Amino acid sequence: MSRRLFIAVFERGEDLLAAVRASRARGLKVHEVFTPYPVRGLEEALELKQSRLPWVCLGFALGAAIAMLTFQVWAMTIDWPINVGGKPWNALPAFVPAKFEMMVLAGSVSVFIAFLLASRLFPGKRSRLIVPGVTDDKFALVLEEADASFDPEEIAKMCEGFNVVRVEERLAETEDS
Amino acid sequence: MAERAKPAAVPLVLGDKTPGQVTADITRALERRPGFLWWAAFVPSVAALAVGVAAVVYLLRTGVGVWGINTTVPWGFDITNFVFWIGIGHAGTFISAILYLFRQKWRTSVNRSAEAMTIIAVTCAGIFPMIHMGRVWFFYWMFPYPNTRGPLWLNFESPLVWDVFAILTYFTVSLIFWYVGLIPDLATVRDRTRSRVKRFLFGVFSLGWSGRFRVWHRYETVYLLLAGLATALVISVHTIVSWDFATTVIPGWHTTIFPPYFVTGAIFSGMAMVLTLMLIARKVMGLEAYITRRHVDPMCKVVIVASGLVALAYVTEFFTALYSGNPTEAFAFVNRALGPLGWGFWIMVACNVLIPQLFWIKKVRSTFLLVFVISILINVGMWFERFVIIVATLQRGYLPSSWATYVPTSVEIATLVGSFGLFFTAFLLFARFLPVIAIAEVKGVLGTSRAKGGGPR
Amino acid sequence: MSERKPKDYGKTRGVRGAGEVPAEPEGASPEEGRGVSRREFLAAAGFTLAGAVVAGCARAPVEKAIPYLVQPEHIVPGRAYHYASTCGGCASSCGVVVKNRDGRPIKVEGNAEHPLSRGGLCAVGQATVLGLYDSHRLASPLAGGRETTWAAVDRAVGERLAAIRAEGGAVRFLSGTEASPTARAEIERFLAGFASGRHVEYDTLSSAAILDAHERTHGARLLPRYHLDRSEVIVGVDADFLGTWISPVEYTAGYRAGRTLEGRPPRLSYHVQFESRMSLTGSNADVRYAVRPGDLGVVMDGLARRLAARAGVVVPGEGGGAEPFPAETLDRLAERLWRARGRSLVLCGSQEIQTQLRCNFVNHLLGNYGATLEVARPSFQRRGSDRALEELQRELNRGEVAALFVRDVDPVYDLPDGETWARAMKEVALTVSFAASVDETASVSAYVCPDHHYLEAWRDAEPAAGVFGLTQPALSPLGGTRAMIESLAVWRGEAKAAYDLIREHWEARVYPLAVPERTFRTFWERAVHDGYVEVATEAVAGGEFDMSAVRPGYEAPAAAEGAFALVLYPKVAIVDGHHASNPWLQELPDPVTKAVWDNYACLSPRAAAAQGLAEGDVVRVEAPGGTTAEFPVLVQPGQHDGVVAVALGYGRRETRRFAGIGPRWLEGRPTVEEGGVVGTRAAPFLAWENGTRRYLREGVKVVKTGKRHDLAITQGHHSLSVPPELATPGAETRPIVQETTLPAFVGNPAAGGHPHHNPAPGSREDLWPDDHKYPGHHWGIVVDLNACTGCSACVVSCQAENNLPVVGKDEVRRSREMHWLRIDRYYAGPEAAPTVVHQPMFCQHCDYAPCETVCPVLATVHSREGLSEQVYNRCVGTRFCEANCPYKVRRFNWFHYRRDDERENLVLNPDVVVRSRGVMEKCTFCVQRIQEAKIEAKRQGRAPEEGDIRTACQQSCPAGAIVFGDLNDPRSRVSRLAADPRRYDVLAELNLRPSVGYLRLVRNTA
Repeated sequence: MSRRLFIAVFERGEDLLAAVRASRARGLKVHEVFTPYPVRGLEEALELKQSRLPWVCLGFALGAAIAMLTFQVWAMTIDWPINVGGKPWNALPAFVPAKFEMMVLAGSVSVFIAFLLASRLFPGKRSRLIVPGVTDDKFALVLEEADASFDPEEIAKMCEGFNVVRVEERLAETEDS
Repeated sequence: MAERAKPAAVPLVLGDKTPGQVTADITRALERRPGFLWWAAFVPSVAALAVGVAAVVYLLRTGVGVWGINTTVPWGFDITNFVFWIGIGHAGTFISAILYLFRQKWRTSVNRSAEAMTIIAVTCAGIFPMIHMGRVWFFYWMFPYPNTRGPLWLNFESPLVWDVFAILTYFTVSLIFWYVGLIPDLATVRDRTRSRVKRFLFGVFSLGWSGRFRVWHRYETVYLLLAGLATALVISVHTIVSWDFATTVIPGWHTTIFPPYFVTGAIFSGMAMVLTLMLIARKVMGLEAYITRRHVDPMCKVVIVASGLVALAYVTEFFTALYSGNPTEAFAFVNRALGPLGWGFWIMVACNVLIPQLFWIKKVRSTFLLVFVISILINVGMWFERFVIIVATLQRGYLPSSWATYVPTSVEIATLVGSFGLFFTAFLLFARFLPVIAIAEVKGVLGTSRAKGGGPR
Repeated sequence: MSERKPKDYGKTRGVRGAGEVPAEPEGASPEEGRGVSRREFLAAAGFTLAGAVVAGCARAPVEKAIPYLVQPEHIVPGRAYHYASTCGGCASSCGVVVKNRDGRPIKVEGNAEHPLSRGGLCAVGQATVLGLYDSHRLASPLAGGRETTWAAVDRAVGERLAAIRAEGGAVRFLSGTEASPTARAEIERFLAGFASGRHVEYDTLSSAAILDAHERTHGARLLPRYHLDRSEVIVGVDADFLGTWISPVEYTAGYRAGRTLEGRPPRLSYHVQFESRMSLTGSNADVRYAVRPGDLGVVMDGLARRLAARAGVVVPGEGGGAEPFPAETLDRLAERLWRARGRSLVLCGSQEIQTQLRCNFVNHLLGNYGATLEVARPSFQRRGSDRALEELQRELNRGEVAALFVRDVDPVYDLPDGETWARAMKEVALTVSFAASVDETASVSAYVCPDHHYLEAWRDAEPAAGVFGLTQPALSPLGGTRAMIESLAVWRGEAKAAYDLIREHWEARVYPLAVPERTFRTFWERAVHDGYVEVATEAVAGGEFDMSAVRPGYEAPAAAEGAFALVLYPKVAIVDGHHASNPWLQELPDPVTKAVWDNYACLSPRAAAAQGLAEGDVVRVEAPGGTTAEFPVLVQPGQHDGVVAVALGYGRRETRRFAGIGPRWLEGRPTVEEGGVVGTRAAPFLAWENGTRRYLREGVKVVKTGKRHDLAITQGHHSLSVPPELATPGAETRPIVQETTLPAFVGNPAAGGHPHHNPAPGSREDLWPDDHKYPGHHWGIVVDLNACTGCSACVVSCQAENNLPVVGKDEVRRSREMHWLRIDRYYAGPEAAPTVVHQPMFCQHCDYAPCETVCPVLATVHSREGLSEQVYNRCVGTRFCEANCPYKVRRFNWFHYRRDDERENLVLNPDVVVRSRGVMEKCTFCVQRIQEAKIEAKRQGRAPEEGDIRTACQQSCPAGAIVFGDLNDPRSRVSRLAADPRRYDVLAELNLRPSVGYLRLVRNTA
């Protein structure tokens, strides 16, 4: 059976924030929130946990650094040692810059790609907005039916307090993006 | 009128806008046909670009000899322009990354175009090391790829190799950083535009962004990480560029102060260039409300600081040279100031050290015309700084017998003009087709203007 | 051309075989035995060939030629063969070794065994090989300016001569000093057939006064043979004997021999030079005085009187004019000469007979005759007589000459009144020029019968009494040219090949003088093998000094107020202009001024300042008599303030060869500027004065025109001192050149050194481990600044060996000359009287090469034998290496330098690749020679030894200033010199560990 969703649309980040706090206080399950810009304080309100992307970045960066350093040492001292200006075969300090740049490059590219994968963003993906304008000036709060406490009228009344502009009910299968 | 008021009271965005208005204002520029001013800026830029293209084609057909460089001065405009453009690029990253880390809200109106500027500038810069090669058609030998010559890799002890890695990394990371910031705004435009083509294109590039907050949450993390990495680049890239000179044995180049000297110089020139562009974009795209004294003022202040640092570098250089007791070293610097290219040196000092001091005066900072002129003068000065460092140094080296002069040819000048043409053409196109201001971020800071919560964390 | 080449090869073998004996032992030894019989056969082949030539069918032998598809015995393709020969560049006739590859000469080098040149060869000699491949040389005789056949010419000339013979017309044969005894004999024989025949010789750069003076003092018109090696005190009066005077290579060798610091006590002759302009010789003198040209005679007179006083000889007449400097100057010099009686030498280049007489007198008083200069066995490098020339000119103007033959000289160009000559010659019934290309005289001659280039011909020479040189052809003539003596023989009616004429002459004249027991054939073969023979000749008649010849009283010509004395001088490389169409010589920087592709008016700094003239301002030189010409100004330190000096030999009509030189591009300017000539002809200023041509004009005005002409000068800054306004205390001059004085040196061999500049081998400290040992060879060069005179022969030698392009005037202006080896010339001291030093500068092959470190693509790396190698095909042309080279010795191919003259390309050295556009290049220590020698040594199962490898620059150096070798071999000369206390490294403070060391300059001054 399909779950019911309750969608409240606000026009100001602060109202949304308040509404979220209120709904969570009532033990309602916040299915998702849509905003045109990252509203400060929402993370806490929604108790989102820290993203794991930094680890991806760190891993790839270190990997690249080690690989690049090894490659340079191998190429200059083992694969084909060439006397260049009488410098020692293994001129480690000289290998630092290239290594460093590769580290940064790998870190950035990896974290970018990881982000796209994690967020399932990709070119050509069809975007279905929950309500028009969430990329412009609308803030949408989506509550999901979890238990008996889910009562649209009640919730609508609650939202009034946060000068909501529109409320609507929907079945879940339509939503997802 | 409002520009007279005390800075604290002056909002980042004038006219008490709502997010809706912000979107409208910024995307309006993309929807309506470009105005006269835009064309007035675009046409000459394209013309300049054409000149440059012609010059480069002639160069590639005939040989590097069409430049005025010679045995004693093997590098002239080519590397000067390279270092100059790389430097310009740095301010973009500085604004968008470092200022982001320092939570400077005022950056929101300018960071987008600053980043665009970075990418364009790095492109301009990248062209020069490429075409300055005697045999451009073998440029790919600069990369370590498996080949049938041994394989013969690269000389990883050569600063030029470091450059290759630095520039490419810098370009890629800047591009990613810029694009990540652009995604939400692309979505915004996508959802507003009436043109099918635009909707399709913006649809493709906005990767199906729908404003979910969970994504926003990750987005914030990624943005922070990229900012951090880009910051590392601001420092490292120009450091490596400076090593092109610092690791040589040439008196006047062989100095340990070069890395910090170059980095500050880069940010200095970049800031000036950002100012130039901002003030142009402001008028050309009609964004007076979004680029205000609250943005120009801090940039002017950054310029003063950078100018001070650069001045300090100049002084330190001379001091160490004269104090070191190394005769050739000392001569190299005296020759810079009083030698045949002394005039270049004094232009540099005037534009980079003296003129920026005008920014101490608030009146100057708040008179945009003056700011615009000064910003251009600073760019002139910074170009001459590189010219003096490269040419005036090479001109008179160790053996007096091989002292020579360097006179740029028409081809070189055309190439320089062309690089500016490319720069402005690209920037104007960007301003025409993409949101020049980070819509989402500005919406974030609207709150501050209305003394309520909001804004990026 | 191309499809004729294989035939040429065959023919080459035919001709050269007819007596060729490689000078290289390995070439000669193995097949000496059967070689003889082969030569027999080939000699015959040579005869038939010559016969064929005489028959007028030059192609005939080509038909018979054996193409290379049949491997000729004793010629291995790709292997170089060396043939001893004699240089035909000028009358000094130095001994050379011609390097042949696949049947074509690619390089001319000095013959180390030759008694005169002793292994050296001047820039001109080096460049003659390029002259050989001049595609504008005549390929057939001309009649009335139109190409024709030899048969036709012979018929026409024959008829004319017959007519002249019939009516007893006067036949005059005009030539430069004819070095070849056979040719002299042949000319005499030819002229003998006429009622009135005379052979007139003149030298473009006349030394007639010397010969005339000796005619008076010694009763024989001769040029003494100077032995500078035996001289401890050398006084040069206006004689540029190290640069352009008579036989510079020979003199340089001798000069060097008298200045060797190896021995204890060191041997360093004392050289004083009196001259009006800064000559190469003056730049090398221990003491140099800039004297107004008119006062040179006064100086000589002053010396004569002082020495006469010492010798107790009464000199007739009163004292000379006021001496230009304090009396004690000459007193001291006279004293010094007197102490070195019999071991001193006074050389005088003046054309004043009086001054020359005094010079002879001085040498006589000093007892130098028979010791340091010989008249009993004189030199024949100058025979010209200006009187004879004047006489001929009168005859011509009177229209008394029926036939005029001109060879080797170009009166219309050389002589001041060339136009009158041209007009007069048009009146002569028969005018024949033997010029190789249509020069000024040939253009007004009825017939041009082009002679071979000396590398194509059999020739001989007698540069000095008892020294005979042989020239053997290194390839068959490239065009349909014919030896002059063959032409004469034909017209005489007795057709003979040059080879036979010479051989016969030698059998009759030279062989009898030689040690008798050898047969003529062995004698001849030896001569061909060595390229020369030395025989005992009976003393020339006379030789007793005739006091009465010394005329009393000498008056210096008064100097007109505010006017200049114009000195016309020959330039090293261009000299008399007979090789002016040779691009290598035109682009060779003048050793003193460092200017190329131009002649100019040299003014002293003070004179220039007084006239408000700067370098490049064009001035009009106005001589009394209305001769004027315009020259750009060049400011020349050390020149006398009252002198304007202009070089001869420029403004030749033949510049077609330069048309293709230099890149064509937007801002490029042509090498041959408006007027179609290079430089300006200065000959019109030459003067005739009682029987000698003068290279001096008094009372000349120098007028500023306001025009500009920027000269192409390869050196930017001429002093080791930085501009004073830029100097920091203690850093006014750079210690790039180190010098000391003889007394200091005797006291301490390391005197004049700088602690940083020659650190003890063990004392070197490094930040990083020394990973790079050089277990095998470590090649290196030591340059002896004391020996180097700056003559620049090495520069051309390097150009020939390494296929260096000629880039043209404009590129040099943009300081993009391509010479791998340059000679830095620095002035020190006051501008009016500077000391000069010449420092050859080329890649130092640093063990810690900064250029290598910065190359991104590993295109320049270090070899296991200490060479800094440039990998052309890897280079992408970032020029970073050049930027980081402290010596600025790398050269970049800015353009694709066109090499579209196929004939000229024959000179390219097949062992050295021609670099393409966008590639960096530099001195390689002649790595191709190193490899060749190593391979050869390996083939013989031994290690390469000292002397196996000689770099091009080293080979050609007349002074032996450059020594190449293995620094790892303690016995090698180079390693011994490297350990010499005089040795220092340039820019040693950078610790680049260059493989090139320099030996400190020691001046013989107090």
